[in-house]
Amino acid sequence: MKSYTNTLVRRLMRHNVSTPQIAGYALASLVGLAIVLAAMQFYRDASGLFAGGDSGILRHDYLVLSKQVAIGSGATAFTADEIADLESQPWAEAAGAFTASRFKASLGVDFAGRGMSTETFFESIPDEFFDSLPSDWSFDPSEGEMADVPIVVSRDYLALYNFGFAATRGLPTLREGEIGMIPLRLYLRGSDGSTLRMRAHIAGFSSRINTIAVPQQFMDWANARLAPGSAAAGPSRLVVKTNTPGDPAIAAYMRRHSLDIAGDKIDNGTAAYFLRVATGAVAAIGAIISALAFFVLMLSIFLLLQKNRDKLHQLMLLGYSPSQAARPYVMLIAAVNTAVLIAAIIAVAAAQLLWKPMLEAVGAPTASLWPTVCAGVALMAAVSAINIACVRRIINKDF
Amino acid sequence: MIQTIYLRDVLPEVFADDTRAPRPSDVWLQSGLRLERGRRYLVEAESGTGKSSLCSFIYGNRHDYRGQILFDTTDTRTLDTTAWCGLRCRALALLPQEMRLFAELTVAENIALKNGLTDFRSEQEIRRMLEELEVDHKYCQRAGLLSIGQQQRVALVRALCQPFDFLLLDEPVSHLDERNNRAAAAMVQREADAQGAAIVATSVGNHLALTDYTTLHL
Repeated sequence: MKSYTNTLVRRLMRHNVSTPQIAGYALASLVGLAIVLAAMQFYRDASGLFAGGDSGILRHDYLVLSKQVAIGSGATAFTADEIADLESQPWAEAAGAFTASRFKASLGVDFAGRGMSTETFFESIPDEFFDSLPSDWSFDPSEGEMADVPIVVSRDYLALYNFGFAATRGLPTLREGEIGMIPLRLYLRGSDGSTLRMRAHIAGFSSRINTIAVPQQFMDWANARLAPGSAAAGPSRLVVKTNTPGDPAIAAYMRRHSLDIAGDKIDNGTAAYFLRVATGAVAAIGAIISALAFFVLMLSIFLLLQKNRDKLHQLMLLGYSPSQAARPYVMLIAAVNTAVLIAAIIAVAAAQLLWKPMLEAVGAPTASLWPTVCAGVALMAAVSAINIACVRRIINKDF
Repeated sequence: MIQTIYLRDVLPEVFADDTRAPRPSDVWLQSGLRLERGRRYLVEAESGTGKSSLCSFIYGNRHDYRGQILFDTTDTRTLDTTAWCGLRCRALALLPQEMRLFAELTVAENIALKNGLTDFRSEQEIRRMLEELEVDHKYCQRAGLLSIGQQQRVALVRALCQPFDFLLLDEPVSHLDERNNRAAAAMVQREADAQGAAIVATSVGNHLALTDYTTLHL
């Protein structure tokens, strides 16, 4: 009996439902929601290119900074205040200082009976700023001069050696994997004349850090041994981790403080920033369309309620509660919005298939659809809740 | 269950601004009019004196009156929507003057709409009641195609498809002949007596043929 009366109520209340109006809403809402969700998904997919600096092709989120050098100009070291100011910027997540060696160093190698050595220098930075740390990246001060010191070299140096140096001298070219097996002789000479002879090896290469790096512990130990009296000057280079890559504020800050950024990272960052702005704009357009569609639905439901006002009143005179009388409209809204949501999700999945090959071609794996689906469900649930609350309020007012 | 409906100094708002001298009335502005369960009342009135308003005030779908209406000790202005819905299914039955049948539904569907809410009568009972009022043959016809007199009888049967303490009938026989009037009155009195309920019937001329009733002049 109950389901029969529900059917009757539905027949009565749906009497003036305008199919074109509902279809118009569904279409507009579908377009709006699909744009919003597609923009979200695209942003998540494409940000694989930019995020997590180590895996993406545009490593933008670590910046190596130094003061601009002019002829005859004095200090290029950063003061503690300057570092603190830098770290307090909204785009800066963390800053690490390069520690320079305060001793002279030379590296030697024995190559098929021929000895070769070169003057060199070292720097160190805190471990968390490396893009990839070699597994043996450590130094135990208790081993002292018996230790085998791991060294990380800029990948550019290897290219310089292989393509510039080795070719002209008749030396063998080297691959990254092989080079670590070559034992190196390390000769350190302090300002007071004391010396250290140690073993060393190339443990890895870095694309981020443009220097010859040794573990921080080794640097601290060696500086203490070989330059005990001299005080550490402030670092002349900093590595900064940013959380909003490409933020124009970064470039502005650099200009204002006459700082240089190693490489062209700021330009790469701009691409990430542009992606964010562009997808934001697209999402905003989708949101506006969705909002308009929402008002179309509200308007057509108001019209419908207006047309069926007498019937609603009659039902409530028979003893039907406002929520019972509203039920057909609630079901209608829920059904239409669910259909729109499903269609929008299908549209986003289809769109993802379209851009997936393009993104994969530039090395970005597409992200999961689930967060977007959840966002769509939440959005539609909120819209439906507002729709339904409005209907209930109007019908209650007519009681 | 409502035992008594009290009307205390009740007057429709529209009459309150009337500058003419108030006409004498057994209902309006009475300090303690009691309508009691089990009794029958005929509210006699000229048109425009507010009999439909009286039914609407008691039934809770209009509140534009001065004074107080109490169900036993409860002021009806304090009742919320849920309470009114409950009363309309269990305690108060109304036959509106305009019948208010849904024209696009059949007689059967119109009655099912009410009976489905209350589960009060079987289909056989409903058909027997329609038969008693000689509209049984219209059972499957759309209500909009019925004559006014037939609609009045269908609406009466619908109003009886619920338990009630007070049955409010707003000009229930205005479009019925003498014979149908007697049949309707007999059914109404039988059903009200079975529930120990009160009948409040209004009339501008064609009285419902009640027996043993109190007349109230509006």
